[in-house]
Amino acid sequence: MNEIVFTAVFGVFLLFSGLFIRSKNAIRFIAITGMGLAFLVNGWEYFHPGNDWPGGMIHADHVSILFNAIALGCTLVYFLLSGKDFEQLGEHLAEYFALVYFILCGVGIASSFTSLLMLFLAIEIISIPQYILAGSQKSNLKSNEASLKYFLMGAFSTGFLLMGIALLYGSTGTFHIGEMNLGGSGIDPLVLTGILFLIVGLTFKVGGAPFHFWTPDVYDGAPSVVTSFMATVVKAAGFIAFLRLFSIAFSADNITAHWTLVIALIAAATLLVGNFTAVFQVSVKRMLAYSSISQAGFMILALVGLGTLAWDGILLYAAAYSLATIGAFAVLIRMEDYTYEGYRGLGKKQPLVALANTVFLLSLTGIPATAGFMAKYFVLSSALQRGGMLWLVILALCCAAVSAYYYFRLIWAMYFQEGEPAILPDRITPAFKGLLIFTALLVVAIGVYPGLVLNWLP
Amino acid sequence: MLLHSYVLEAGTTPISYFPIVLQLIMALVFVGGVMIATHLLGPKRKGSDKLENFECGIQSQGNARQPMAINYFLTAILFVLFDVEVIFFYPYAVNFKILGWAGFWEMVLFVAFFFAGFFYIIRKGALNWRD
Amino acid sequence: MVHFVWLVPLLPLLGFLITGIWRNRLSKTAIALTGCGTVLGSFVASCILFFQALSPGFRSTPVHLFDFISAGPLRIPFDFQVDQLTLVFLLIITGVGFLIHLYSASYMWSDAGYGRYFSYLNLFVFSMLLLVLGANYVILFMGWEGVGLCSYLLIGFWYDRDDFNKAAKKAFIMNRIGDLGFLIGLFLMISRFSSVSFGEVFSRAPSLGPHSGVMVAITLLLLVGAVGKSAQIPLYTWLPDAMAGPTPVSALIHAATMVTAGIYMIARSHVLYSLAPATLTVVAVIGLATAILAASIALKQNDIKKILAYSTVSQLGYMFLGLGVGVFGASVFHVMTHAFFKALLFLGAGSVIHALGGEQDIRKMGGLRRKLPVTYWTFLVACLAISGIPPFSGFFSKDAILGAAYQEQPLLYFIGLAGALMTAFYMFRLFFLTFHGEFRGSEESAQHLHESPPAMTIPLILLAVLSLIGGWVGIPAFLGGRDLLGNFLAPVFSNGPAASLPAAAGNTDLILMVVAAVLSIAVIFWTRGLYRRYRQGGTPGRGLVRLLEHKWYVDELYDFLFTRPLGRLSDWLESRVESPVIDGAVNGMGRMVQWGSRQVRLVQSGQVGLYIFGMVAGAIILFLIGFFLIK
Repeated sequence: MNEIVFTAVFGVFLLFSGLFIRSKNAIRFIAITGMGLAFLVNGWEYFHPGNDWPGGMIHADHVSILFNAIALGCTLVYFLLSGKDFEQLGEHLAEYFALVYFILCGVGIASSFTSLLMLFLAIEIISIPQYILAGSQKSNLKSNEASLKYFLMGAFSTGFLLMGIALLYGSTGTFHIGEMNLGGSGIDPLVLTGILFLIVGLTFKVGGAPFHFWTPDVYDGAPSVVTSFMATVVKAAGFIAFLRLFSIAFSADNITAHWTLVIALIAAATLLVGNFTAVFQVSVKRMLAYSSISQAGFMILALVGLGTLAWDGILLYAAAYSLATIGAFAVLIRMEDYTYEGYRGLGKKQPLVALANTVFLLSLTGIPATAGFMAKYFVLSSALQRGGMLWLVILALCCAAVSAYYYFRLIWAMYFQEGEPAILPDRITPAFKGLLIFTALLVVAIGVYPGLVLNWLP
Repeated sequence: MLLHSYVLEAGTTPISYFPIVLQLIMALVFVGGVMIATHLLGPKRKGSDKLENFECGIQSQGNARQPMAINYFLTAILFVLFDVEVIFFYPYAVNFKILGWAGFWEMVLFVAFFFAGFFYIIRKGALNWRD
Repeated sequence: MVHFVWLVPLLPLLGFLITGIWRNRLSKTAIALTGCGTVLGSFVASCILFFQALSPGFRSTPVHLFDFISAGPLRIPFDFQVDQLTLVFLLIITGVGFLIHLYSASYMWSDAGYGRYFSYLNLFVFSMLLLVLGANYVILFMGWEGVGLCSYLLIGFWYDRDDFNKAAKKAFIMNRIGDLGFLIGLFLMISRFSSVSFGEVFSRAPSLGPHSGVMVAITLLLLVGAVGKSAQIPLYTWLPDAMAGPTPVSALIHAATMVTAGIYMIARSHVLYSLAPATLTVVAVIGLATAILAASIALKQNDIKKILAYSTVSQLGYMFLGLGVGVFGASVFHVMTHAFFKALLFLGAGSVIHALGGEQDIRKMGGLRRKLPVTYWTFLVACLAISGIPPFSGFFSKDAILGAAYQEQPLLYFIGLAGALMTAFYMFRLFFLTFHGEFRGSEESAQHLHESPPAMTIPLILLAVLSLIGGWVGIPAFLGGRDLLGNFLAPVFSNGPAASLPAAAGNTDLILMVVAAVLSIAVIFWTRGLYRRYRQGGTPGRGLVRLLEHKWYVDELYDFLFTRPLGRLSDWLESRVESPVIDGAVNGMGRMVQWGSRQVRLVQSGQVGLYIFGMVAGAIILFLIGFFLIK
């Protein structure tokens, strides 16, 4: 609740400060400070809960606030690591930051909605600034293409989402996810259709197969700074909304029987498509785009599980995946050449940067002692708790093994291939290095001691 | 009322949607059938005039797909934005008495947001016509 | 203060990090100061804890640091626990450990890997502290693995020598075999008690009932771990080879850390072992057999460190015997006195080797008494202590164990006594060959003979004092002592079968003690006669002697039984199974993935129309599944 208000107001504030302040450093400073404040304001609500949205359409519980904290914390790290790179996008610096704030406002709603209307609003508030950000490099054709494609397909999928909401409302007579009372015997075909439409719409938003087609093109085409954010915090928020909706509204036994297999198949398809396609990429950026699909496949497993473990898993996954990907992108942005060849010899030239990048990649692979391992562990065990999903877990493990191929290829390129890395040395400041190492340490810390995140859960 | 209760009683199985499916099939068959029938039955005359654009009888001038200045769109979109938001005043006017002072302050806030947006686009120079 | 117990292991950890990270930047003085200072700090902290424990109101409670693992019903907290048993070990580890650090600072001064050496040494102490401080088996296991790793690193410290690397690998593999047993025991424990905390496991253990097969299994598996770590039959062969490392490392491994871990673990688990009498018998038999076997091998060895290594194995055997007959306190007592005199022996040996420029063969020594007076006298104290001559420390602890063994079964006592007499023999053979008679080395090395610097001799003197008086804390009641150690440890072992020496059998014990002491002294004089005027030369022994010289051919037996068949099996697997089948399958999978990747990639053409078509097709398929497949 606090987070929603604060980010919305601060976003507007940033817009206006952009009108009066010319100094780019000052604007960046305001944006970073604001994110720190947002983190504190959100944290304050954890200890002083209470004020809900009038009308009961939003209720921020501890899980919501914890996720908001993860999202805000990751964004803060992202601003600190890549904030300077926003200047490469164009001249409207304050607006870019403001759009990120607006997205975070949507993220706040997505993590705490209790009404389907609010879900829709959250998804749209998250999506529309992204369309703009994806196309923010106006002179770059690929950026324009990404924006337009994203917009077209996003609008298309929003239709599904709305249709699903409408059908559910038509059948149950309420938008409130806690009051749908679907727990009787049998299922109304309207409800089933509505649920399937919602699955389609939400799967699109989180980039799951077979609605993932936009992901590689948009992530590849959009400016890397923007992709870094779109692929992490935003995607995680989509999952939180997804899980929140399904674990509250559709978790009755007679209902889950109808959609669990569908979600499981989506998870399987997403894992296969993401991992298999990532193997053959030449560009690291495009590899990371596909890797985001495969990671989404793992997160969908939490939806199969539904339960405390699933919440543990999705929150850990949000933190682990976001931090590691933001870190990997922060390094990527500083490369002149986005191909694997560009990373050759990085281990010798910039040992600290290469080391941090290795930690991020290991975490994405899910190597023990990194956050990614714990996240995968929780997500997989939540899926295992639901009976009959062993095949899916085995498939996921195989896919994790495949993912080692393309992540380790990058590590291999950094350390074991001779060459001159195509890195821009003047953009590797000591502060950047320090932050990158800090982020890597955070990834390891969560991996060794997941209680850092999970102990905050009630 | 009768219809409503009927839907509620029957609305638990896919079979109750069978009439809709039937109607869908009928519609498809009808549309498809008519299209095929006209194609087969109708007389055909081919010529270059048939491929011309028809513009109310006036001779068409060039191609419609020409690039236009972005300012047209910008102004149009901004107009629509502000125009549409004014629609909120109508329900407010109807409920003016019921909402009382609380409603008034909410409306003032709403208008203030408007002015903030207006101020923003002016400062940003969105309405300056440049070529 | 108990709540600051984490300081004790933290200091060596910091020392490890500092000396490890800046090993090439810090000066040697700084490294030595950090390495010794952190351990000294731990020692001081341990002393403070110890004096607190002496106050009457002391109760041991776990100190909760943080939750380590919580998976389902299983919760494994990262807890430390300080009780009397832990305190005794803390004092041994940090106290003796500090003296060894101090000694090393001088001994290793000219070595290139000075920083690396001290970082390993500190990590070693840290691991051992973690091991004894942990309040559950998982923390214990972490320390357990830590000392295994450190011993590997330190044994192979001079990694440019291939045989040293082999010794390191041997130590590691032998330990791994033991660790596997420990791990399986741990899993069995988790499945039965769904906990690994000492308190919970011990309170739930009696629920299995008497003569429980599961309890025997758990204790036997834990014993496998202890056998590996504490170098007992059949996993003892790594310890004699472990002398490949620098001599102070041997002192550390043999005296203060590592090998005592197995004793500690069994003593800690005494509740479980008391519930499984069958295992206790196994422990006693293994201990006694090891004691005898190792002592017999030591009789005919000529390498000064090897003799000491076998003597350690043999002494550890006695400790196992003590555990096996249920006198846990006496075993811990022997761990303590052994730590004093074994550290002293190794450091003294180091001093001798140092003086001789690396020579380790006692046949090439002799007459060092005048050149190395401090080493000579301290070494004599240690030899008397290990041979069990009153009033030196070893006498009390060894007889505490043997006395208990006599009550259990007189045969155990007589075999044990034989081992003790062998100990007196080989130790004084070593002593006389090294320090008496004529110098038998080369002329050149005779010139360089010199006493070691004070940094090396001061630890020797301190340890000699401890070796002399260290046993006096455990003088049993029938000798007019108060058995301070036994009383101190009593709260830990109070629920065991016997707290310490059973005081009832005073007279028998007195007789046994006198017999043992008199016989040992006789053996020493006999040895003196044999070896005081030893001349070099002599033929390789025959028969039994030859068997002893070759260490009963145990290494060769293992080689024949395990190493070579395994090698042949893995050769076969490599050529017949691995390359065609497994490699083929793996590479085939890889190729399949690559091929699949190439095909799937083509779908991503960049055309929005195609994408939307794909989405609609996907949605339709999902709807078909949702409506018609799921019923």
